[in-house]
Order: sequence, then C-alpha cells, then structure tokens
Amino acid sequence: MAQVKNRLTPFFENITFDREDNELVLNFGPQHPSAHGQLRLMLHLQQEQIVKAHPDVGYLHRGMEKMAENMIYNEFMPTTDRMDYIASSSNNYGFALAVERLIGLEVPRRAKVIRMMLLEINRLMSHLFWLATTALDIGAMTIFLYAFREREYLMDIIEGYCGARLTHAAIRIGGVPLDIQDDFLHQLRVFLNKLPQNIKDYEDLLDSNRIWRMRMEGVGTISTEMALSWGCTGPMLRASGVAWDLRKEEPYELYDEVEFNVPYSDVGDNFARYRIYMEEMRESAKILYQTIEMYEKCVKNGETELMAHAPKYISAPKIDIMTQNYSLMQHFVLVTQGMRPPVGEVYVATESPKGELGYYINSQGGPYPYRLKLRAPSFWHTGILTDLLPGHYIPDVVSIIGTTNIVFGEVDR
Amino acid sequence: MAQHKVNYTQDGGLPVALTSIDKIVNWGRSNSLWALTYGLACCGIEMMASGASRFDFDRFGTIFRASPRQADVMIVAGTLTKKHSEFIKRLYDQMTEPRWVISMGSCANTGGMFNTYATVQGCDRIIPVDLYLPGCAPRPETLQYGVMLLQKKIRANKASKAQKAKRLM
Amino acid sequence: MRAYTPKDNVQAKAYYTDRYYVSPQVSKEEVSTDAVFESDLAAISAKFEVKESYLQKGQMVVYINANDIYGVLELMRDELEYTQLSEMSAIDWLAKDDTFEIFYQMLSMSKRKRIRVKYFIKNGEAVDSVEKLFRSADWSEREMYDMFGIEANNHPFMKRILMPYDWQGHPLLKTYPLEGDEFAAWYEVDKIYGKEARDIIGPELRDTSRVDRYDSERFALLGHEVPKGTKITDEKIPTEQSYQEDGGVFMVSKFDKKTSKIIDDPQR
Repeated sequence: MAQVKNRLTPFFENITFDREDNELVLNFGPQHPSAHGQLRLMLHLQQEQIVKAHPDVGYLHRGMEKMAENMIYNEFMPTTDRMDYIASSSNNYGFALAVERLIGLEVPRRAKVIRMMLLEINRLMSHLFWLATTALDIGAMTIFLYAFREREYLMDIIEGYCGARLTHAAIRIGGVPLDIQDDFLHQLRVFLNKLPQNIKDYEDLLDSNRIWRMRMEGVGTISTEMALSWGCTGPMLRASGVAWDLRKEEPYELYDEVEFNVPYSDVGDNFARYRIYMEEMRESAKILYQTIEMYEKCVKNGETELMAHAPKYISAPKIDIMTQNYSLMQHFVLVTQGMRPPVGEVYVATESPKGELGYYINSQGGPYPYRLKLRAPSFWHTGILTDLLPGHYIPDVVSIIGTTNIVFGEVDR
Repeated sequence: MAQHKVNYTQDGGLPVALTSIDKIVNWGRSNSLWALTYGLACCGIEMMASGASRFDFDRFGTIFRASPRQADVMIVAGTLTKKHSEFIKRLYDQMTEPRWVISMGSCANTGGMFNTYATVQGCDRIIPVDLYLPGCAPRPETLQYGVMLLQKKIRANKASKAQKAKRLM
Repeated sequence: MRAYTPKDNVQAKAYYTDRYYVSPQVSKEEVSTDAVFESDLAAISAKFEVKESYLQKGQMVVYINANDIYGVLELMRDELEYTQLSEMSAIDWLAKDDTFEIFYQMLSMSKRKRIRVKYFIKNGEAVDSVEKLFRSADWSEREMYDMFGIEANNHPFMKRILMPYDWQGHPLLKTYPLEGDEFAAWYEVDKIYGKEARDIIGPELRDTSRVDRYDSERFALLGHEVPKGTKITDEKIPTEQSYQEDGGVFMVSKFDKKTSKIIDDPQR
C-alpha cells in the first residue's frame, strides 16, 4: 500500500520567530514523564522564570458523566473506579454513599467496618504512590522502588480480598459483597507493624536531605485565600492553614468512633504538603489498628450482615438468590431494570486521599440518574497551577505538580 | 480492534528463513527493547508497577525512555481519547524504525468500557499495533509476558533494512 | 415504517415503566427547622428574591433569579461565611420546558453547612460569571460551556476545556448521543489522515455484543499465541507454555518450570 502522507504537518508551536520580547513558549506536552498523566502545560518563560502558565486538560476525558445517564446505578460502579485509579475504593465508596443517602439506607455495622478498612488501605496506597512519583520526579529514585514495594504488599492484601489490584469495585450500594478473607487481618497486622519503620526510613532519606529541602521549601506557596478561592481541599488546603478534614467535620461511616489526628500546617509550600502526607500515613495506620479491633468485636457480637436489607433497592445475599425463588426474581429485576431511587437530589462529599470527592446525583425516579456530577478534587488542583506557577522556575514546575497530587482520571473524568 | 484492510502477515504466515546476521541482529534488538513511557491512565500505573521493584522490567533489558527518538517499543497503556489521538500519531512518527507497538489493556485495544463520544475505539485506528494485551488493568505479569511474546516475534522475522514497514495506510 | 422515537432525549430509557408506579420523593423539610439556615436565608431574602427554599438531606436549597447570582454569592461569601464554591454545573431540562437549571454548591467551613443555590435560564441565555468571587468558577464555567453550551459573561477565557478546541457539539446535552454523532465518529480519522482514509480505516466498532464467527481461532488458548493470519492446520498443540523458543536464546537463561522456585509468602 502506498504511503499516504498524513495531515499532521510539523509546526513550531513553541517557537515564534517574530517576537520583540524575550519570551519563550514552552509546551510541557501531554506525554511527559513527570506530567502525572496527560497534562499539557503551556508555559510562557522569561529566561527561566515563568510569567504565564496555562494548563490544558481534557486528554483523558472519557465522558463518565454521560455514561452515568445511560447506565443503572450498580452498573456505573466500576466506572467510578477509573476516576482516581490509584485509590479506587474511595471513589466507589463516595458513589455508594451518595446513592445510599439518596435512598435513605442504613448499612450494617460489619460492612461499615470493612469499608473503613478498605478506605484507609486505599489512603495508604495513594499516599505511597504519591511519595514514589514525587520522589521520582525530583530525582530520588530509591524512594520510588521502596514505596512501590510497600504498595505491592497492600495490593496483595486487596487482591486477596476482591480479586483486583488496581480497579477494585469492592464496595456496592448497600454494603460490601464480600467478607474479608482469612489471613487479611494477619497480613494487615504484619504490614502495619513494619510501616512505622518504613516511613521513618523514607523520612531519614528525605527530611534532612539538602537537595530535597531546597527544592521543596518555599516553593509553591499557596496562601489561605487562594486555596479557599480555588476550591482546594484535602492536603492542599490543610497545608495552607485550614484544618478541614471531612472525616472529622462531617463524619460518615464510623469515623466518629475512631481516634485520629488531622495534621495541618500554615506554611503552604511543598515541604508542608510533603510532611502532611507522611503524617497522614501514620494516622491511617492508627485508624487501621482500631478498625481491626472493631472488626473482631463485630465477629464476636455475631453481626454477619454485609449488605443492607432493602428489597426494593438491594438484592438479597447470593445464597438466598441461589435457593429462594423470590430473591432470584427480585435480583433479576434489579439487574435488568435497575433500582429506582426516589425523586430528588443529593450532594455527598467524602474525604478521598486527594481531597473532597463529591457526587451530585439528581434522580427523577428512573433507573438511570438524570444528572450525575462528579466533583473531583484534582480538577481544581490543576486549575490552581494557573495562579501558582508564575514566578517559579522550570524545575519548580515539576516539584509543584508532584506535590499537588493530580490524577488525570479525576480531572478529566 | 479496528477492522481495516491492512495485510499484516509477512510471507503469508509461513516461517521465514533467517540468516545468521538476521539472528544476531534480532537477538540484540529483542533483548534491549527500550520502551517509551506512554502511561495514559490506569494501565500506566500497572506499567509503572511492572517497572518497579517487584516485577522488574530491567531484567528484559527494557529501560523506560521518555523521548520517542530513543525508544523502540511504545506501550500504549490507557484510554486513548480523540483529543489525544493527534499526539499519539505524532509520537509514533517520531519513533525511529524498527519500532513496535504494544496495546495494553482494554481501552487501548478496543476503547474498553468507555463506549463514548470522546474515546477512540482502539488505538489501532491510528497506529499499527503488534501485540494486544487484554485486561483491565492487565497485571504486570501480563505485560511482561507480552514483552516476551514480542521478543519472540522480533526474533522470528527478518531484520534487514528493507523490512516492509508497517503502515496503516 | 419504523416507530417514531423522539429525538429530544436520546439517552437510554428504561424499557419497562410501570404505569401505576408513583415515585417517592426525597423528603424536603422547612428551613425553619434549622436555626443557622434560617438566619442565612433571612439574610439572602432581605436583599434578593428567593423563589423557593427548603432543606433536603441536611443541605439547604435556594432558588433565586438568574440575574442575582453575582450579588447572592458575594453576600454569601462576605457576610455569611460561605467561603468555598465546591462545584457548579448545569442540568438539561430542554425536553421539559426549554430551560437549563444551574446549581452552585457552597460550603461554609466555620458553620459546617452546605447550601445549593439554583436558578433556571432559558435556552440561549448566558449566565454571569462569578469567577471574580471564586477562582474555582473559572474552570467550572468553562466546563459548563464545553458540556452544555452555556456561556458565562465576563469570563476571562471562555473556551472549551475538556473537548478538543475544534469540537462541534456540546456533549452533555440530552440530544447528544452517548456514542457521539457523525462528527465525533470520524473526528480522529479526519484530523490525522483526512476524509479519504475513512474507507481504509473503517467505522468504529461500537457494538459491544458483536461476535465474529471466525474469531475463535486460538481464542482461549492462552500461551499458544500465533501471529495473526497464520493458517492453523490440525497440528499438535504443545502442552507446555513456552515463554521462549524451543532452542532457547543465546545468553538468556531459558525458563524452566521445574527448576524455578515459586515464592508464595506474601511477606517475603
């Protein structure tokens, strides 16, 4: 077949030949090893300093909100996995919580404990991944290998639970479908016993490292007003002085029964965010120890329910479906037609590892949501780069993008 | 996968007679496949995990290079959207021959679960693909097995400069 | 003649609707049941017209006029301590009465309360941008324009954000099909190769349940893959999964399952 030229002609977008000023337009393209996904940053540079930054997103826009308008609620659950694909269960959980609040369901206690365990494990996974990639971008490649090793332990535990390493779909509307496997608690305890030493190893490598401190301290300072105005939440906001954590302020699940602290800083630079992530890992470990105890108490009290009992919306347990006729019929109807929640709307926000992950569901009584809006924290954390980057140098761009912890599945949905 | 009228097999699928020069060159090429970092979405995380400490990629001789000029194989890991399709074609054109493409994951194979307006239904609508890996996301072992299959494929074909270049059209 | 399907909402529809089913409503409460919300509502309605207000699931919903949005949000930010705009977007009611419903989700951290401010606009109208009050509206309004076609006045950069800049059509409208219209279907082919390539590359395969009757060659035989197009006669299928060729590769140790050690301990 003859070679047919394609229509992509080479063009020099970053070099304009007739400019009077010294400005260079640099395209930090959609494929870049430090771009954490598909971020296209167009930077106007004056020698090495940035005068204008324009982030261009949308290279991973897959149309999830429109998909939700065409899928039943349970069918949409695996799609939410792919939003923040590093901590998948937190997206699943946010969606499940939103639908449960819309319907008015009460989830059984054992399922709540398991969900909390999954959420905190996902938080640890997400923070370890953040540490690995940020360190890799700045040049500390050892941390990348060590943090991924820790992450592999956690992924093994979750794979033993639900079968998937990365995109879990382990949480359903109404509870969890599976009980934890036999050596889940044992493996989790072994991991948690090693975790403080591991975190201390990373801190020893990084905290007093001159290069790390020079690249992180004083760089990317976000003031409180800018953080509030740009809709920053999560560690970005806590680093800028506002101690706002949805697990404490609007407690969901059983977070009001566990004790943990919320680290915050009032400096707002990269180093503050780094310290907050490390402290949050320790707090997550604390929560996990307490949830292990809560789970064992649940087992002792004999609470075995894993899914809420609401026959209009939730299917029966599998054993009933396989043996009872009416359970099978109801399950069939729920799977083929979908559950029909009441008419109304709800906005529910949870504290995902990246920030406030919100789901706005407007239901008109049909099996498909009429409008589902996903409030992803990384969307505005990418937008803040417009105001944050001018004044910094090019190497700072990499460290700032690293510490803002952007995941492009969320930004573009 | 796309259904286009491209003839993929060389020599009609019969085993190709290889000279020793071919064998040496193929041996060198297959054991030092430098991969282009092309992690687009969730499969990119699994690709990173397969390059990390547990499933090491370096034992295949594979190093992840960021520049397409220095890469042999492009592992398309993740969803290809229509906004991005122009760039994947640019990057593929910039890769120097011989070059191969591994399509990793459902989204790169066929568009995956995203049957929507903004998703390219398979990266082979844009670039010719040598290996398709199923999964969502494929495990790192799958990716490594895929790399080994690609190595086998490289060793089975002729290595001469007059290699019939794979073009989509 | 095929049946007439109305084109004002081409999203998936439930194929069975119970004729006598009345959907329950999510409960709405009076604002007066919550003191904080009551005082907030009094402050807003002192200066602007509030068409409707109620409490739903612990959050207050306030309906105002479209022109008042800048003033209301300024009041809420400066006096009522609603310092963060969590999100804003639109809902498409064009099929019902040719309007859009725009909502703004506000958060007050000091009071721990959330308010949803909503209003309706007619098709073709533009909204006032609140980007000067909350910078997060900058990108939210761009996304609203991209997805629905609703422009915002006084916005610094009203361009598409999620779709490519030369896209035609606003995807989240109910009249836009999930799989995209004709423009979307050929977008990447036209852009990269030109219209002539449409025949060569072929249309998108969007049928998820399509089964190709010739597709079963070696489909389930993982580990025995062959290049596409090779003719498979009734040769013997090798029983052992081979990672390398039979003769092995020079200087690369051949994988042998018998001599390899399987590490099963997750703690290693």
